[in-house]
Amino acid sequence: MSAGQEHRIRPNPGGDGASPDSPTADPTAGSPTSGSLTREPRTAGAGPYPWLMAGSIAVAVLGSSLSLNGVFRGWAWLLPLITTVTVAALSLAALRSLRARPLLATAGSLGMLAAILSFIFCRQESLLGFIPTPATLAAVGKLMQRAAETVVSETAPVPPNAGIVFVMCACLGLLVILMDALAVPLSMPAVSGLGLLAVMVVPATVKPQSVGVAGFLGAGIGYLLILGTSQWFAHDPRLQSGSTRGSSQFKRSMVAGGLALGLALVVPLAIPGFDSGTFPQGSRLSPWGTANGLNPMITLGNSLRSPTGAGRITYATSSGSAEYLRSVTIDSFDGETWSPDDRAGQRRPGTDKIDAGYTLQGPTVPAVTSIDAGQFTSPYLPAPFAPASVNGLSGSWTWDPATLSIMSTDSSTRGQRYVVFSASPKITAQALALANAAPRGISNDFLRIPANLPDIVRKTANTVTASAGNNYDKALAIQKYLRSSEFTYSLQAPVQNGYDGNGLSVLADFLTVKSGYCVHFSSAMAVMARVEGIPSRVAVGYAPGHPTGQSVALVGQGSFPEYEVDARDAHAWPELYFEGLGWVPFEPTPSRGVVPDYATDPTVPGSITSNTDEKNSAATPEAPAPTATPTAGASAAVAGPAEVSTLPVISVGAAGFLLLVAFLCSPRLARTAQRRRRLAVRPPARAGTPPPGYRDPAPGLAWAELQDLATDYGMPSAPSETPRHFSARLRASAALGQAGGIDDAAHVAVASLTSDFERDRYGQPAGRGGVPPAATPAAPRIAVVRESLRSNARWSVRFRAEWVPPSLMHRWSRGLGAPLRSLRTAGNSAGWALTRSWRKLGRLLPERR
Amino acid sequence: MESKRPVAIEHSQRLEQSQREAAVQPAQPRDAALNGHGQHPMDAERFHEASELILGSINRVIDGKADAAKLALTVLLAQGHLLLEDVPGVGKTLLAKTLARTVDCTVSRIQFTPDLLPSDVTGVSIYNQSSRQFEFRPGAVFANIVIGDEINRASAKTQSALLECMEEHQVTVDGKSYQLGLPFMVVATQNPIEMEGTYPLPEAQRDRFMARISMGYPDKDAEIQMLETHQSSSPLVKVTPVVTANDVAAMIAMVQQVYVSTAIKEYTVAIGRATRDSANLRLGASPRSLLQLLRAAKATAALDGRDFVLPDDVLDVAESVLAHRIILERKAASSGDTPQSILHSILTSVPVAKEPAGAWARERRAG
Repeated sequence: MSAGQEHRIRPNPGGDGASPDSPTADPTAGSPTSGSLTREPRTAGAGPYPWLMAGSIAVAVLGSSLSLNGVFRGWAWLLPLITTVTVAALSLAALRSLRARPLLATAGSLGMLAAILSFIFCRQESLLGFIPTPATLAAVGKLMQRAAETVVSETAPVPPNAGIVFVMCACLGLLVILMDALAVPLSMPAVSGLGLLAVMVVPATVKPQSVGVAGFLGAGIGYLLILGTSQWFAHDPRLQSGSTRGSSQFKRSMVAGGLALGLALVVPLAIPGFDSGTFPQGSRLSPWGTANGLNPMITLGNSLRSPTGAGRITYATSSGSAEYLRSVTIDSFDGETWSPDDRAGQRRPGTDKIDAGYTLQGPTVPAVTSIDAGQFTSPYLPAPFAPASVNGLSGSWTWDPATLSIMSTDSSTRGQRYVVFSASPKITAQALALANAAPRGISNDFLRIPANLPDIVRKTANTVTASAGNNYDKALAIQKYLRSSEFTYSLQAPVQNGYDGNGLSVLADFLTVKSGYCVHFSSAMAVMARVEGIPSRVAVGYAPGHPTGQSVALVGQGSFPEYEVDARDAHAWPELYFEGLGWVPFEPTPSRGVVPDYATDPTVPGSITSNTDEKNSAATPEAPAPTATPTAGASAAVAGPAEVSTLPVISVGAAGFLLLVAFLCSPRLARTAQRRRRLAVRPPARAGTPPPGYRDPAPGLAWAELQDLATDYGMPSAPSETPRHFSARLRASAALGQAGGIDDAAHVAVASLTSDFERDRYGQPAGRGGVPPAATPAAPRIAVVRESLRSNARWSVRFRAEWVPPSLMHRWSRGLGAPLRSLRTAGNSAGWALTRSWRKLGRLLPERR
Repeated sequence: MESKRPVAIEHSQRLEQSQREAAVQPAQPRDAALNGHGQHPMDAERFHEASELILGSINRVIDGKADAAKLALTVLLAQGHLLLEDVPGVGKTLLAKTLARTVDCTVSRIQFTPDLLPSDVTGVSIYNQSSRQFEFRPGAVFANIVIGDEINRASAKTQSALLECMEEHQVTVDGKSYQLGLPFMVVATQNPIEMEGTYPLPEAQRDRFMARISMGYPDKDAEIQMLETHQSSSPLVKVTPVVTANDVAAMIAMVQQVYVSTAIKEYTVAIGRATRDSANLRLGASPRSLLQLLRAAKATAALDGRDFVLPDDVLDVAESVLAHRIILERKAASSGDTPQSILHSILTSVPVAKEPAGAWARERRAG
């Protein structure tokens, strides 16, 4: 009743439509400002807002994409990306400033994105160079296939080939459109940050330096720009801060932001367990890291740091001691990052006969090794050196004569059980000392020294080997130097000092700091050996494992002890080439691996073996005995030294997680967006008479929101219920709390919303002598009602209302059922039509007597 | 009860001869009288005040029947006619007379009996010997408020004499039409048709009454109150007119200006169509009944202090306006349904507005 009291009957002296302030001819006679203001939402230009917002989004996306350096090699990918993102953002801004419908703007920018992608990547296949044709689609298919191959087979940093860059440009272009859709029509600029998060998840998971300072700053600045633009330039009044509150709000946000940043930096330091590994274990921002990228050697560091051993491999060998398992070699030390050279053209298919290609003098020691790769996943096959043949593999495998790395073209090591027959030359110190002939039969690539080799490397190499005579002595001297007490083995030092990577600058840092792990020791030795004229390369694989206590029977060889290795045994070691003896492994890493007899310094006996890791001390040569079936890999995780599938797995996982989160959040987001859209409509607060027949949509929308709110909290309105009855029922129910108590404001709000709606829906329209609608915004009243409903509801009801709002679910299920319903209707009418025509046909036929 | 003569014309105490003659004269054109354009509407405050005065006056006399009193006033302001139906002795006549006396206007009372003639109601032309002309002697119907007591005791012929008066606000005798005054309202009482010696009102006549009210028995407290106050003297004695006929006419004009939105019209029509489509009803609501429903809703809205009609107003009066017009199917009647119960189920099933579709369209326009 109180609602009804508010609007008493107002007499209408002029009668219908003839009231003196009826604005039928007003737009010309009235003040120009009021006339233009009332029509502003449709006709006036959109102002700078669309352009600023599109610019902010472009800056944010490009800024966050800076963190992708290191995932991609070099910067060649940046230019196409800038072009794509700029075009997408510009087209969005243009369409929005032309006040195109939100859906149209999105569709238009999608079209522009397709055009610019065609222009950049498939110019030949496209009509006029940018209009996609079926041929373009075929080309895109090829690009996608190439990208998929890159993702599967390459390790980050991947070369920026057309396929992967196309995928990146398309994704980030779509991201621009998505963020724009979130920020502008859905009015959720804060949520659009999720898109940036999606970009940064990739480097955060695959790069040890995480996002990097540039990417972090770029994304942060862009995000702040988005928020600022929506705050200061948006047409939406809810997003715009009042000018009077501006400064205090700014201060508050500064304090809040500062606190958050401080906490984010301090808390990970305080929490134990956040200091090892990257993403899952220690996802932290290390903005001081260099963005040198990573490759198997870096993932090796991550594997070593992982607290749990993943990718367990078991093997048994007839060689008498635990073997180094080699899966890939690094031989190109050029440029910023070192990575395995696939030599795709030279690889040979089949693993029946593997031949090193150089001649060996002296005897060789044959060995049979049975390996169970378990869950370890990599295209490179771990095998003892030097493999002669491999049996039992499924899939097609190729081998590289230069490095003897065995790689699959179509499968991986996962679940493989195979037997490797290997033959290693019997190497003795005497033989090595004699092997001073110039290397023949191998490529000169193994001797190539990068042009920009840091001075410290050359200087150190020369100093260390100053007194050495032959190649063997030089090698021993370098190894001795690296194993000396000057150097310490540390998994953390490179990370802390910012050279946890590879490349020449890393090498220089390592030689200065003198602390690192196998990657650094082995590459240092390899490069220094080349400086001294010895061909070298770095083998990546596993250090000798530890016995499991079980035995494995090898065919025709008897029973041998089984060893196991996992991610923590990942290792890298240098191999030096000696003419006549082939590639000879050395062990410069202190406390890791087993130093071969030939590599022990004859002058200081025992000094090296004392360094041997206690973990590996169990792997003694006399470990005998044979046997048994290899056990299945225990852990499901995939990580390994030469492993390249981390990137896709993590990105698929992250994408799946994001999808799941998005799916779970979507009702809430949709409901929130709906509420905001409804409440965003402002009542005409400005002076000036509304045009005749104008009906303010705000009360109706507010009412719809009130009804949905009540539905969410278990008080749905019946279709046959009048607004007043519904309002009374709502206020009488326990859902809204007691009138007169703390929830009184909510009762008043419901009453006033009801009377506003009634007046709007059933009252005289303004301009026909009706009462001009009260210019109070509905949003605060809805907020009060919502708060009261929330506080009076049980937690389960509250949860349902917020995460699975029944009003929305009902609408969605209706929407989903609509096609079915229309199908049923169509079926029914078709049936009737058929029946009718059948009857008609029956009448046409001559009657039978 | 000497007042229950076959024809008893009562006038309020203030009625003067001149006023009576003015009422008799066909002074106003018919359409103008119907639409109330002759009167200027009164302003909202005075309307509220006047309606409170009338209701307060009635409620002082009849205890515990505020709803019936309000509905009676609603019908008066909506220019309709009221049918009071209930068992004898619950205050039907008292309500009618109180309403009549509260308003300072001409009131006549007709006690319907089986031998009442139509001319008793409408009037008769008598040859005046001195002027040598036929002179029209107006019947009981020439008054602002006509109380027809026990209307279902009269013969069908006499009942139908009321038809023209009620619907068209005029009387035609000997080919000449005489306009009735404003306000004009017939308040008829009738006993339930099951009672003995009654002629049920034909459908056509029932349809001319805007609303039917069943008084019902008063509740305990009201009844005790009634026993106390009504013992010594008739409560009617204390009733004095609180508003004039002109006031009522102004109020009626005001009610006519109440705004009815398209949504309300659609809702009203939806109710009407639902009664016609109902499987339980042999006869649904006529278009005239919908018109009267809307008029009554306008009066309700005005009495509630609003200048526009809400669905609630329609719902408030729907049962009173529609229940006496609809006719049940035999099956429904035998299964114990009443017009009220069927109307109730119809009213709770008719959607107030096509909300989902409309809301969606509105949102899209707004967005």
